[in-house]
Amino acid sequence: MWRDPGQPADSYYQVRPECTDVPKTRFKIKLPLDPLLQAGKTLSPRKWQAAFTPEGYLDISKTLSRIYRGASGIHPSIRGEVWEFLLGCYDPKSTFDERDEIRQRRRIQYIRWKEECRQIFPVVGSGRFITAPIITEDGQPIQEPLVILETNQDRGPSAETGNADGNGSNQSRMNASCSEMLRELTSHGPLDQKVIQWLLTLHQIGLDVHRTDRTLVFYEKQENLSKLWDILAVYARIDTDVGYCQGMSDLCSPMIMLLEDEADAFWCFERLMRRLAFLTIVVLDSYCIEVDDKRGNFRCTESSVGVETQLSNLAEITQVVDPKLHQHLDALGGGDYLFAFRMLMVLFRREFSFCDSLYLWEMMWALEYDPDLFSVYEEPELNGEKAEGSKGRTKSIRHYGKFERENMKNGAVNSESPLPISIFLVASVLKDKSSTLLQEARGLDDVVKILNDMTGNLDAKKACSSAMKLHKKYLKKVTFLPWSATINPDVAFEMFN
Amino acid sequence: MGAYRADDDYDYLFKVVLIGDSGVGKSNLLSRFTRNEFSLESKSTIGVEFATRSIRVDDKIVKAQIWDTAGQERYRAITSAYYRGAVGALLVYDVTRHVTFENVERWLKELRDHTDANNVIMLVGNKADLRHLRAVATEDAKGFAERESTFFMETSALESMNVENAFTEVLAQIYRVVSRKVLDVGDDSTYFPKGQTINVGSRDDVSAVKKAGCCSS
Repeated sequence: MWRDPGQPADSYYQVRPECTDVPKTRFKIKLPLDPLLQAGKTLSPRKWQAAFTPEGYLDISKTLSRIYRGASGIHPSIRGEVWEFLLGCYDPKSTFDERDEIRQRRRIQYIRWKEECRQIFPVVGSGRFITAPIITEDGQPIQEPLVILETNQDRGPSAETGNADGNGSNQSRMNASCSEMLRELTSHGPLDQKVIQWLLTLHQIGLDVHRTDRTLVFYEKQENLSKLWDILAVYARIDTDVGYCQGMSDLCSPMIMLLEDEADAFWCFERLMRRLAFLTIVVLDSYCIEVDDKRGNFRCTESSVGVETQLSNLAEITQVVDPKLHQHLDALGGGDYLFAFRMLMVLFRREFSFCDSLYLWEMMWALEYDPDLFSVYEEPELNGEKAEGSKGRTKSIRHYGKFERENMKNGAVNSESPLPISIFLVASVLKDKSSTLLQEARGLDDVVKILNDMTGNLDAKKACSSAMKLHKKYLKKVTFLPWSATINPDVAFEMFN
Repeated sequence: MGAYRADDDYDYLFKVVLIGDSGVGKSNLLSRFTRNEFSLESKSTIGVEFATRSIRVDDKIVKAQIWDTAGQERYRAITSAYYRGAVGALLVYDVTRHVTFENVERWLKELRDHTDANNVIMLVGNKADLRHLRAVATEDAKGFAERESTFFMETSALESMNVENAFTEVLAQIYRVVSRKVLDVGDDSTYFPKGQTINVGSRDDVSAVKKAGCCSS
């Protein structure tokens, strides 16, 4: 009665009317009827503005608690700017001017990288993209008829939108210059291996851009599709270790919707990628050495191994919090938890509606928030010192997210790599389905089926709170593991005072 | 109709995998066959997904459990784990992108490395409706299929052309292989565990499963 049922948020991410088979959104914008009653309310634009001092310092702890207390999330109209902080693009302890300066610098950097890409392959930044390869694996140019069509015409076979009339001569010039450019590139001897690898990913990006969030009105615009392609292409060029991996388009797409400026969207995506890579980097490094001499497709194995580490962590967690379920899954041959691969790989984008997955992301990032994120990314040379707590920047515990605080309380922060909340989210989803899985799953196919059937029926809010509970339970049970002895003294001091 | 909940009343359960380069239309072939649906908005497959459908072969009900895999090369470490126990495969390429046909050889090798030699393989040239964009001649593919002794068909998931045929042909061929085995080896217990249903994908490498109750010697 007195409770505000909230407004639906789907109007911010409109679905094409003809697409009826999309999961329903549960997230509701809850704004206070009584301005004094703030608990459980969505972080509103007004409250967000009020969290800054006149110079621009952000009260991060208040902001974080507003996001996750009552699990109420962020108002869609300010999502992009709040995300920039949650992902560590900016330091809350900086002024408006300082951030403007960083923003300008980053925009210029992005434009520079994009231009470098365009120099190699002029389709970048042209408003078009390709879905068939342009070179062979040994660097020989090829011209699939499809590519000629895609770079030559506004209305390619699968480009549904775009202006059909106009700059025809421009296009053929571009097409000519594109094949010329390729020819020129290869005329100076063999292409650099990294350039070949990059050129080889471009059509894969194009194939995926064509099928990313196409139920949304936003992606009816050719312009937005090519923005997505450009950002992923530039990213693949600068992060040659990861390049492009299927699923990254799912992770990048929301950034383009939330941040109008392409460069800003790029940087948010870049921070997200770091965040995901950061979790697996230790294992990746050791694995790289093993596979380095295999060349060929070693890169791919790397990235899957990254997720596989998370999957084995998931197994470990399930074993602790629901041993019966783990035993059952293991007996069915699912001990590798590969069936949960997609949830971790694209952070639940496929299990929830568009809006709900964004809500889930911001909940995760707020809960996991680490005030050192910005400096860790900006000044990587300081990275190693973090563990020693000797930077003199150690923030008050209030500046950490709730999940991170739990880790600190239990000393997990100083362990090699504390487990990310996403794994606990998957564990909570599995635990939620535990009885069904135990009773009905008699094979791995049943497991996949049961997990598939829950798509669109999950409650993001509930999943988050039970993930937090599982995390607590897990930490309690594993407290006696050796790493728990190394609690950060600064934090301990603050906690006990 | 419900693809998963189809029916638990079947005589044989065959595991089939859909493989091939990214974007050739594997997921749409699967949804066309199991739900008679085609979606222009379909998403890329991350990891593996699957669906089932039962069909009648001779007087038997054959349930196909079809695993759809991600096409990008770097996913193979994960997807190949799902080959185990497969008794049939549809190896798909896109008739409008020649490179997807060139890669068929690689896929074939991968498949043969991971599965039994009796595996029934069908080479499928999808998107045959895009006539003006064709980059792979039917004859070339047919020749390849003959050399490699695989079956071959061109399909269009969009126009629903030959999709049904491709899948049922694979299932019928598997059935033939399996029933020949019955004649040849009688009660080969690896292929026909009596009195129990073994789920595909479980630790036992048994995928052509005869349901309990029938076929007791």
